Amino acid sequence: MIQEARARDTVGIFTHMADAAVTEVAPGDAAEAALAFLAEMSPDLRGAAILNSRGAVLAAAGDRERWGEDAAALLEIADRAGGEPAEQVHIATEQGEVFALRHGGLVAVAVTERFALASLMFFDMRATLRDLTTAGRRTENGTMRPEIGPSTPDQED
Amino acid sequence: MPPKPHRVLLDRVSGYADEAAAYMRRRRVSRRPFARLYYPNGRSSDHADDSALGAELFVAAGRLIEVAGKRPKG
Repeated sequence: MIQEARARDTVGIFTHMADAAVTEVAPGDAAEAALAFLAEMSPDLRGAAILNSRGAVLAAAGDRERWGEDAAALLEIADRAGGEPAEQVHIATEQGEVFALRHGGLVAVAVTERFALASLMFFDMRATLRDLTTAGRRTENGTMRPEIGPSTPDQED
Repeated sequence: MPPKPHRVLLDRVSGYADEAAAYMRRRRVSRRPFARLYYPNGRSSDHADDSALGAELFVAAGRLIEVAGKRPKG
């Protein structure tokens, strides 16, 4: 019950992203590959996840359900804090650093070691999402069938 | 006219002290936990950990750090 209520409440967090209309398509394989590439580029990375605008986890390092729930919770608080959807989130704690980035209708969330360079981390995450959205567009026109289809807020209701 | 030898020494020592102070300042600042949010219009906001929203952000971040776990060795 709690899970259902939470999912219902958090769907909106992803759908009202500023650039949600750019692309919604990202095949799971491409997301996994993008995540692996991000991990390769970022030596400080502990774990990361890529989600679509509906909050569905496309790729994650570990427990996909937990990544989805916790990323949704973080973005919900970030959006509430500013009164508008946050584009980037950077939280540095004693235990590590958390980065979240929205780009092209996708969300990347990453956890790194302390003192990771924020500008580089955001650059890498943005490049990863950009590549992924490009791959998504190619998939739309190509032969591969995307695992995650286009979504709109109306479809959720 | 060349500077007096003790001036050279003093300048060098104070230069090292300035470097060390700057390093310590940067280290202290970077060690302090912070939550920073950026918005599409270029606006950004900081949230201290003792504020209500800041505390919520740190709790949410803590959960993500927990799910990410430790970095694999090697």
